[in-house]
Amino acid sequence: MSTSEGQPKYSTREEVDFVIIGSGAAGGVLAKELSTNGFSVVVLEQGKYRTAADFKHDELDVLFNNELLNHPGWNDPQTFRRFDTETAVQIQGEPPPAYYARGVGGSSVHFTANYWRFHQSDFMERSLLGPMEGTGFADWPISYEEMEPYYTKVEWECGVSGQQGPFEAPRSRPYPLPPMPVKSSGVLFEKGARVMGLHPQPAPLAILSKPFNGRPACVNCGFCMGFGCEVNAKSSTLASMIPLAEATGRCEIRPLSTVFRIQTNAAGRVTEVVYLDSAGQEQAQKTKALILSANGAETPRLLLLSESSRSPNGLANSSGIVGKYLMGNAHSVTQAAFEHPLNEYKGVQVTRIVHDFYENDPARGFYGGGGMDARPFLDSTPILSALTGMPPGKPTWGPEYKQMLRHYFTRKMSVLGSTTSVPMASNNITLDPNLKDDKGRPAIRMTYMDHADDLAMATFLQDRAVEILGAAGAAEIWREPVSGGTVQAHLLGTCRMGNDPTTSVVDKYHRAHDVPNMFICDGSSFVSSGRGQPTMTIQALAFRAADHITRFARNGEI
Amino acid sequence: MKIAKNSRRKFLKSGGSVLGASWLAINMPLLLSAAETAVENKNTGAGYANISLEEAIELSALVNQIIPADETPGAAEIGVVYFIDVALGSFMSSVAPMLRQGLEELQQSTKSAYPDKHSFSELSFEQQTNLLKSIEDTPMFETLHFMTLCGMFCLPRYSGNRENAGWDLIGFDHRHAWQPPFGYYDAAVHGQASAQGDEHEHV
Repeated sequence: MSTSEGQPKYSTREEVDFVIIGSGAAGGVLAKELSTNGFSVVVLEQGKYRTAADFKHDELDVLFNNELLNHPGWNDPQTFRRFDTETAVQIQGEPPPAYYARGVGGSSVHFTANYWRFHQSDFMERSLLGPMEGTGFADWPISYEEMEPYYTKVEWECGVSGQQGPFEAPRSRPYPLPPMPVKSSGVLFEKGARVMGLHPQPAPLAILSKPFNGRPACVNCGFCMGFGCEVNAKSSTLASMIPLAEATGRCEIRPLSTVFRIQTNAAGRVTEVVYLDSAGQEQAQKTKALILSANGAETPRLLLLSESSRSPNGLANSSGIVGKYLMGNAHSVTQAAFEHPLNEYKGVQVTRIVHDFYENDPARGFYGGGGMDARPFLDSTPILSALTGMPPGKPTWGPEYKQMLRHYFTRKMSVLGSTTSVPMASNNITLDPNLKDDKGRPAIRMTYMDHADDLAMATFLQDRAVEILGAAGAAEIWREPVSGGTVQAHLLGTCRMGNDPTTSVVDKYHRAHDVPNMFICDGSSFVSSGRGQPTMTIQALAFRAADHITRFARNGEI
Repeated sequence: MKIAKNSRRKFLKSGGSVLGASWLAINMPLLLSAAETAVENKNTGAGYANISLEEAIELSALVNQIIPADETPGAAEIGVVYFIDVALGSFMSSVAPMLRQGLEELQQSTKSAYPDKHSFSELSFEQQTNLLKSIEDTPMFETLHFMTLCGMFCLPRYSGNRENAGWDLIGFDHRHAWQPPFGYYDAAVHGQASAQGDEHEHV
């Protein structure tokens, strides 16, 4: 654990310039930017302050006991249902429906680090394609051109390895680092894709291929997906942003601090943030302004928990859409085995991607687009592979199963398809009316069923994956059935951005329409889902938000 | 991370259902202390901390049905029963009653099917296999299956995967650094330079 040496210690009674709730992909960037710009900042993070030295190659603990996910102080359960006509059930012993890491750095600590910029079209598909009845299909109030400098900032400040591909949007500066070394999955995927007439390219990853900004290059240890990086080569905010925030001497990180209420005054302004500290004691930090970056599930939960007589449906929720339009990106998984060992357990997950199917194509007969990548996925680590990576319809124990384990672990790879999610009010985060956590806070209730077009797109990508793997010479190929998602690691759209206060929660500068000194910036700000790798855009939004928030603060406009 | 939902759900339904909340109540120092005790017991031959010798004998037969010995060791020899001992004393303590009841029922089934036998472990390998086929969908067997694979492939600090024998079986070489080439198909791209890695002691 970090000792927070050198950090300031603000009194809770002292009104700081900003409290930031959450230290993840967005919160970490905002903490660094705002403290660098001279403001006093307190970051409240419900998880532990782990550092690289705390991360282990412990598959049992990380992937099966959810060490990075669980609330560190108490049991904080979640419930799930597909439709609002169903009663949500508590999910126990399975991955939580809202799948996010708790800890300084948030989910940027355990993510796989695929860093795709959005395309121009992602910001304006409603204008390009027309309306979709019964959905929240809408344009963003900002364009790719406004975002481009901030995408570049993410790449150069956080550290992204890659090489401009044939379908990527225009960029003002090349990637700062060359792509990661290609793996056997990348070689095979590239070979098969070329046979199919496609245009594979090196994968952009927020992992350092060379030493950069004082951090070391990746050592290809293989423990990326779901794990924290032991050498700080993964560009989590823990590795890239938090140290810079701390170095300003103006930013205090308070781990093990779980916020349960945002307090507002008669004027509708945030005055203080009420939280439980590491000892379980209630604290209230006074602040001039609040930045909410708790992720697309915790952010709406906290707003809904902060109802008052002035805002009986939840803070910043005069529109009634806080928590709605949750988008998770649909996925399809296609597994394959080859004759010789690939040894996919070594190195980063993804080294080659295909973006030929990124844009919407009316000829497909449904809305959507997506990207494909080659990766070990289920065969990254031994227990996961033994449980989920063996071919279907075969014994799962006994002599033949043992022989399968011996044969397949090193010879496997998967192709993952990631797609758009149609924004729908029926997919949402609400407070569970029955279940509470150990401290009496209503549990997160997720209601989610992918739109038929999203599942059609996922299946389309799986069909292409089967063709590519066949063209690459796979000895065996099998499909994981495409079905509605029950676990969402991408928590997008639940406090969407827009110009109209009746149909959005924040404005184009991330200021809550209803609360002048509260800004919301994380995956919840998304208006559309992109094609399945959202963190790059979350961070670009955070850099952009920081610029505007700084301007407002300096001009006395908060 | 997003896992293929169906296959993952299938195993989590069994193994995963016993993790989670119970784990929250157990902190790492306690687990490590349980693991250290078990490792110590294993090394000194002091036996098991949380299961009886009779239970250990039956569990050995059971886990060797899941991963049998052939030209390489079976699950019991790889330390899976010691792993189960650790798990039942710490992060999977909540399944102990269910597992014990399942073992009891298995003995009853054994005696019904083979009146001259007193325990499952006394049966021939084939007789054991046939009996287990009738219970392979039960929570007890699915939990044991999950625990066996965890015990095969976990870090040796949990008392399973003895001398990395589980990893050796599948070809997983645990190091903390690798250089390309990683596998057969990328070797040509990277040239034939041999893979270098830092030797790492597994603790």
